[in-house]
Amino acid sequence: MDVSQYLEIFIDETSEHLQNLSDCIMGLENDPENMDTINEIFRAAHSLKGMAGTMGFKRMQHLTHDMENVFQEVRSDKIKVNSPMIDLLFKCLDAIEGYLNNVKESSDEGTEDNEILIKELNNFIAMANGEAAASAEEAPAAEEKKEEEKKDSGDGRKYLEFELSDTEKGKIKEAEDAGQHVYGVTVYIQKECLLKAARAFLVFKAVEEVGQILAYNPSSQDIEDEKFEYDFSFYIAAEESFEKIRDVAKAVSEIENVVGEEVKYEALIAKQEKEEAEAAAAPETKPETQAPAAPAAPAAPAPAAQKADAGKKTTVAKPVTSRTVRVDIEKLDTLMNQVSELIIAKNSLVSLSSVESGDSQSQAIHDQIEYLERVTTDLHESVMKVRMVPIESVVAKFPRMIRDLSRKLDKKMELFMTGEDTELDRTVVDQIGDPLQHLLRNSADHGLEDNETRIARGKSEVGSIFLNAFQEGNNVIIQVGDDGNGIDVDAVRNKAVERGVITEEQAETMSQKEIVNLLFMPSFSMAKKITDISGRGVGLDVVKSNIEALGGDVEVKTALGEGTTFTVRLPLTLAIIQALMVEIRDEKYAIALGSISNIEDIPVEDIKYVEAKEVIHLRGKVIPLIRLDDLLDFEPMEEKQERLTVVIVQKGENMAGLVVDGLMGQQEIVIKSLGKYINNNKIISGATILGDGEVALILDVNVLM
Amino acid sequence: MANHEVEVVEKEVKQYIVVMVGNEQYGIDIRYIDNIVRMQKITRVPKIQPYFRGIMNLRGEIVSVMSIRRKMGLSDDEFTNASRIIIIKLEEKGAIGIVVDEVREVVNLSEEEIERTSNQGRFINGIGKHGDALISLLEINAVVDDNA
Repeated sequence: MDVSQYLEIFIDETSEHLQNLSDCIMGLENDPENMDTINEIFRAAHSLKGMAGTMGFKRMQHLTHDMENVFQEVRSDKIKVNSPMIDLLFKCLDAIEGYLNNVKESSDEGTEDNEILIKELNNFIAMANGEAAASAEEAPAAEEKKEEEKKDSGDGRKYLEFELSDTEKGKIKEAEDAGQHVYGVTVYIQKECLLKAARAFLVFKAVEEVGQILAYNPSSQDIEDEKFEYDFSFYIAAEESFEKIRDVAKAVSEIENVVGEEVKYEALIAKQEKEEAEAAAAPETKPETQAPAAPAAPAAPAPAAQKADAGKKTTVAKPVTSRTVRVDIEKLDTLMNQVSELIIAKNSLVSLSSVESGDSQSQAIHDQIEYLERVTTDLHESVMKVRMVPIESVVAKFPRMIRDLSRKLDKKMELFMTGEDTELDRTVVDQIGDPLQHLLRNSADHGLEDNETRIARGKSEVGSIFLNAFQEGNNVIIQVGDDGNGIDVDAVRNKAVERGVITEEQAETMSQKEIVNLLFMPSFSMAKKITDISGRGVGLDVVKSNIEALGGDVEVKTALGEGTTFTVRLPLTLAIIQALMVEIRDEKYAIALGSISNIEDIPVEDIKYVEAKEVIHLRGKVIPLIRLDDLLDFEPMEEKQERLTVVIVQKGENMAGLVVDGLMGQQEIVIKSLGKYINNNKIISGATILGDGEVALILDVNVLM
Repeated sequence: MANHEVEVVEKEVKQYIVVMVGNEQYGIDIRYIDNIVRMQKITRVPKIQPYFRGIMNLRGEIVSVMSIRRKMGLSDDEFTNASRIIIIKLEEKGAIGIVVDEVREVVNLSEEEIERTSNQGRFINGIGKHGDALISLLEINAVVDDNA
């Protein structure tokens, strides 16, 4: 057993607390008197301190301890929250995040003491109530001591209650024969303790330096798995006195109490035998016979219960914690893979059953297969849902970022977010943070005008930046934009010509949209001066490629003087989709059902031409036609078709009509990668294995529009 | 002393699978080979490197299949009963299939039986002499490398 196994939990929980703190401090900035928020901050800082202490991260513990102290003062109304304090608190959060990043990288907090921050924190306490601060700090300490002493007098020798196995008895006897003292010890951990098992481990590690543990209750495995309440007991053989053992155990933080005394083998055996005999004689009365065995035991649970009550009172204000389980993402990936295998197997059953002719037995098989199909679809949906997490975890840090940017750039701005509860596949959520952050910085830095310009233009002085997320079919849309200056298309055009990205002639013929899309080209930065926020030319192209790597795409809409909106479209899931299977000559292709709007049967005469390109006019919309056979390098058909089967696909407002030879029906398919050898050509987003073992390619229609 | 000799021999001998491509014998270091399968349906993938034939389903996994003939600039593959796909597994990039005309045998070659000269062509790292026959030993990393 080793503390490192708690590292992941520590990292996860610390990040959560940090986010919580950040939110609360932001809230406090707008409403400095809100007692609930102040309490919440105090609790979060306290938890952070406890966790850092448990893991032995002393510097982090120190910093959070002082933060907690400041809030202690705020809570008791001795100092008021003000703007310098908020700034300082944010700096502290950054410092803690620094520790956390060090921990993530090297399992160590690093060597930065952040003395300046700690000094400033202490200044707040001292500045606000001078002498009172020092005494206030001492008072609770003294109180604690008193409490401890009070507990000492109570008895909680639970070690007397547990039954020893024969080998354990043997060990005790052996140790006694060797002239060592054997002590029974019960350790009580504080109720607020977050990592009980880690505490227990530290206690064991500490006492094993002075003696040898002979028996555990609960078993060491259960303790490791945290299967115990707030106390555990053990027998230990040592040469030192009991006081020594008690002191080393108590030196571990968050240990409430340690009770115990020396035990003699003979007495121990006699007591147990007596109990056993009594238990055998009158099994019904066992609960009663146990009571005298630990006469003072009730004394310990009583204060404990009181404490639990007190604990309950303070936690009332806490938001309800969700009933969740943390699962390693790899386990979910494995599960998803297995579901994929199952669906492939099911698909091959489906194709086998469709070959059979219709006697009564094959009808029954068919029914069962249909049932199986429903179950696997549901199963897939459930697994997918398990993998879905709200984007909140990513976007929650943005308000703070915009606040900082606002100060740095000296522009007034506000961030409005909606749809934070929109869910996406975990892998997508993990990777969407950077691109979104980039788009927001973009909006803040060169989207929004400075304050004076805004006033001169008759806009509200405070610029608004928005982030809206919502689900649309099988996609999740995230819009990031601002009400700023918009993109100056002419400026982009000139810049592009100047940089030699396009020629003068090309520039003439390009549509406004095409020009704006030049911004996504590598190394095309529009910032007039390079700041550390944006303008280094690594930007929108990286955003685009990151989003495309997730199977999504990004579009931009802009109106000069009114603002710019980036629309990021992401697939809900990456692994299994519903698809329409189509035929082109003797090859089969899959098109994601989510992007299909409808299917049309169109006479050849209906094809019209716009700029020498084939289009169809359908219910008031002009839709460009894409001949898939041409696009995918097939030989042209020898005989002319009279009617065409056209699959109309849609992406936002863009539509296209894909001409196919035939339709094969809808199917659930498992997306597989083409591997690392084949150069991805973007039209083909992957492959899938059909029921009969044949391979079909998946068309990515998003790149066609 | 005897022991020592055995060790040296074990170190030097390498096993090669001998395959036919055109009228030339090629040897592939057996350590790279994951599997040898009969010819099966290969699905064409549009707009990829010309030396790839496409992809196939190898027990539920998608494996890309290349033509060593196309890569070497020989006439295109003709599939016969003897045609096989050699599945190579490389640590970094995973599995890839290589179509060969025929799989002959497995040979043991010691370092003395291999002639290493520098001007042997891009895909060869040595010539093995086995009885009367000459076997061109393929440098697999070069064969599957996209730039070679």
